[in-house]
Amino acid sequence: MKKLDSHQHMTTPVIAARSVGTRVLRSEDPRLLSGRGEFIADINLPGQLHVAFVRSPVAHARIIHMDLSAIRDADGVALAWSGQDVAPLCEGLVGEMAVEGCFPTTMPLLAKDEVLYVGEPIAVVVADSRYAAEDACELIDWDFEELPAVTNADAALAGGPVANPQLSDNLGLKGGASFGNVSEAFEQADQVVQGRFYTCRVSAAPMETRGVIADYEWASKGLRLWSNTQMPHYLKYMLTAYLGFPEQGVEVITPDTGGGFGQKAHVYPEEMLLPLLAREVGRPVKWIEDRRENLIAGAHAHEQFVDIAYALDADGKITGVRTDALGDGGAYHMPPWSMAVEPWCAVVMTPTGIYDIPAAEYTYSAVATNKTPVGAYRGVGYMAGTLARECLADDAARALGMSPFEFRRHNVVRDFPWTNAQDIVYQEGSWLETINVLEKMVDYPAFLQRQSELREQGRYIGLGLSVFVESSGESTATSQEHGLGDVYHDTATVRLNPNGTANVTIGLSAQGQGLATTMAQMAADTLGINVEHVSVQTARSTSHAYGSGTIGSRGAVVAGGAVARAADVVREKVRLVAANMLEASVDDIQLTDGLASVKGVADASVSIADVATSIYFDTSSWPEDFEPSLEATQAYDPAQAMFSNGGHAILVELDPETGFVRFEKVYSVEDCGTVINPNIVEGQIRGGVLQGIGASVFEELAYDESGQILTTTFLDYGLPTMDVAPPFEIHHLETPSSHSASGVKGMGESGLIAAPAAVLNAVNDALTPFNVVLRDLPLTPQRVLKAMSGELSTAQQEATSTQGETGHA
Amino acid sequence: MKPPKFSYVAPTTLDDALKHLASDPDAKVLSGGQSLMPLLAMRLAAPSILVDLQHVPNLSDIEDRGDHIRIGARVTHREIERSALLADRLPILSAAASHIAHPQIRSRGTFGGSTAHADPSGEWPTILLALSATMQAVGPHGNRTIEADDFFVGPFTSTLRDDEILTHVSIPTTRTAWSFQEAAVKKGDYGLALIAATGTPRGGVLVDPRVTVGAAVGSVTRLVAVERILTDEPLTDELAEEAAVAAAESVKPISDIHGSSDYRRKLVASLVRRAVVELKNGA
Repeated sequence: MKKLDSHQHMTTPVIAARSVGTRVLRSEDPRLLSGRGEFIADINLPGQLHVAFVRSPVAHARIIHMDLSAIRDADGVALAWSGQDVAPLCEGLVGEMAVEGCFPTTMPLLAKDEVLYVGEPIAVVVADSRYAAEDACELIDWDFEELPAVTNADAALAGGPVANPQLSDNLGLKGGASFGNVSEAFEQADQVVQGRFYTCRVSAAPMETRGVIADYEWASKGLRLWSNTQMPHYLKYMLTAYLGFPEQGVEVITPDTGGGFGQKAHVYPEEMLLPLLAREVGRPVKWIEDRRENLIAGAHAHEQFVDIAYALDADGKITGVRTDALGDGGAYHMPPWSMAVEPWCAVVMTPTGIYDIPAAEYTYSAVATNKTPVGAYRGVGYMAGTLARECLADDAARALGMSPFEFRRHNVVRDFPWTNAQDIVYQEGSWLETINVLEKMVDYPAFLQRQSELREQGRYIGLGLSVFVESSGESTATSQEHGLGDVYHDTATVRLNPNGTANVTIGLSAQGQGLATTMAQMAADTLGINVEHVSVQTARSTSHAYGSGTIGSRGAVVAGGAVARAADVVREKVRLVAANMLEASVDDIQLTDGLASVKGVADASVSIADVATSIYFDTSSWPEDFEPSLEATQAYDPAQAMFSNGGHAILVELDPETGFVRFEKVYSVEDCGTVINPNIVEGQIRGGVLQGIGASVFEELAYDESGQILTTTFLDYGLPTMDVAPPFEIHHLETPSSHSASGVKGMGESGLIAAPAAVLNAVNDALTPFNVVLRDLPLTPQRVLKAMSGELSTAQQEATSTQGETGHA
Repeated sequence: MKPPKFSYVAPTTLDDALKHLASDPDAKVLSGGQSLMPLLAMRLAAPSILVDLQHVPNLSDIEDRGDHIRIGARVTHREIERSALLADRLPILSAAASHIAHPQIRSRGTFGGSTAHADPSGEWPTILLALSATMQAVGPHGNRTIEADDFFVGPFTSTLRDDEILTHVSIPTTRTAWSFQEAAVKKGDYGLALIAATGTPRGGVLVDPRVTVGAAVGSVTRLVAVERILTDEPLTDELAEEAAVAAAESVKPISDIHGSSDYRRKLVASLVRRAVVELKNGA
């Protein structure tokens, strides 16, 4: 694999940890928890108009006739557009990913000739109020001819009715690769274990839905666009590229945002339409997505089938792995990630996991269906891949008569750096230790005894294990390591003020991760000042620092690196002046705890505040030929791919009368290198695991065979609540990265990546007496009860069905 | 999710409320709004005028009337949940109230509103049918009372007329043996099945037991076959099993994305078994 050229911005300064590693309270919380946040719905511009969309009620149809005149004549309506009206301004958003076998699609901003999924926008209305806009939407006059709806991935793959005329064989993606001698591994295997796993269609369901406000100033040709996007700079670029707004006049503003989880890391038709509408009506326009729209038309996630097989030798070692993933992509590639985001990521990034497997082969495909496009959701592809790999590991352990801990320990990679069969290099990790620590945390022998005692009483508990390794700190190097060519880098600006306090600006928008707190810790320790003296502005506007997006577990690593690099430039200025003031060599000056001191000389120090004051106001303190700016902007991009690791063990109990899965306890081990702030890491674990519990047991976006979505409110879409959240026991391991600032690694996605495998393994462990193994999510009460009723025996495991008995069509 | 245009009045007397209600065939009573407002927001209902009962007096009391308790239509679920009187005299109501949605909804939603809404998944219709409650309604032609057996007649359908307002519900306090079972995937969700069982204990057996099912069926229903089995028989685990079998055989469950009718049949049987065991242990 081609290695990355080294550049200046890939090195990080050495930082003496003071606040890093401590439980600094989130500086965001007093504001957000007391209702003082300002979210997009809170923003009102003078003279603004309101936007509502008419969305398709049918999954697949040809538009025969559309007349918006009644809408245009309605009270309070300023403008109404159909697909015909908007097409000359923008043909649509191209979706594709630069991987082998990806066939692009163009998603129109409003459907023009055919509608391809329920919820697809077919017309847009601008009116005095959202009420008036929605009243007018009801007046649409249109005729359509229904076409066959493609709602099943296997059927789409087999050909037959076409879901999207741009993909005549329904294929949006197809490819594969082989590494090592896979055929030999399988031919010589002592036994082969295999299974087909299904991850159901879900929604990231952020607490705050999407929203866009556009304000166009014709005199200056300036466009201000408010969006709660995770990628403001990318959105700015797209507004320029697709719509031709002059780049220098476009500002994307990201207010406080209530969760994104990847759903807000796309470029949506709504974000492209609002600026065009604002320009047309000459007034600001505002659209706040309602919950029903969010569940129907916000990017969906996850739906894919993963077939996986291990070749096992007589010793119980995995000698080869074959993986095939089939994604149900929905009607279009969702830009910029495409249908590849689930199946491609699943097979390329996860099959070997923590295991020393010498040969690996994968194939991937994604098909178009007449459903909402599938996009990114926290831990793309990793969740399904980890589910398949880790649940198959339990199948293998059962087949070999080994404990799940023993089987994993038997196969785990022990020596680093390790290059896997696909030539991906893992520099370091605590993979073996994770297994050992988890085994101790759950007290496995005691659990086994309790499990068998409870079985006697007709109670069924199960323990599920899932051990993961996660690519983190999404970077140019990570992209290249996985065979892509994406270029990432982010900047941060650090300014030291006259009283020795600092203001920091980063290029990443925040959706609740606590970036303002962790980045203050990184800046404080680099500058040697108190963390309370640092204020961090996350990217509220593209006018400030540059960023590639708050995605891919990259915030702490990438923004942290940029902050440390920028703070380091300022630090060197302070050291230079301090050396001059203390009449010492600059090499001996150290900055810690608010003081610039001379190494080894007890009394020789000056406060950093005094140094800063002197730089601003006292030229006599300056060394010769000094440049007094105490402000620096620096970029950062990790020099190498980096991987966090960890594991979860989840304890469940199944109710044999209702089929309900109750969660008793979650044990988590996380190794994200140096922990900047344990509170924040633990919050990420809790939230991510709970989303994983949701995706395994409670959540499913269900469709019927006609392509009608059946889960359009939280009445029917089962987002987990605090009431199902079990207690957590969390253990931190710290194997620092050798090249990031402070040794930090990213971990924002790990909970959701790994929890579903632990849940499925736990449920299957509890089902052992019933001689049945489930492989499809979600584990609805009905399916669990059926498994417990003896209606499914091992011989007729539920395995390979593409159609569960509930929900997914 | 904005409602279509409607008029709104908040009369201060019951007579005025009735006049407004009679003024337009598409008028609708608004109480706590926890069911009606979502229907409006999703444009599944489009009433011409909403008649808000919040300023109408004498609808918000829980009164002890000796052999029965009278609950005003505007009493909230939360007030029921917290009422010391009900905890003492009709504890099944206190127990069931905590199953209704979430605290915010319980604080706004009203007893009468839920009862009149006749949602088959609602706790109150299932329980009022099991408690043999009496609804008091007032209309342009005066007052009338409707027995629970004659009140809930279909999904979201009661015998309350469009021009009538449900003002109070009277519940006999003689049914001191009770069990309420709800199987909901998460606390606050609508149940997949509800079972309410009540009776008057006398000499080790239940007199006139009533067993009702909600949520799993299209309309709240009495499980007459189960009632027959429980009548005048000593409660035992065997009887509980027999009742469960009878429930499974007689119930006509619905099927939807949350559970097939086969699954709900098993669930109803399990809940009936649990209810009878609870009646046995409590008796």
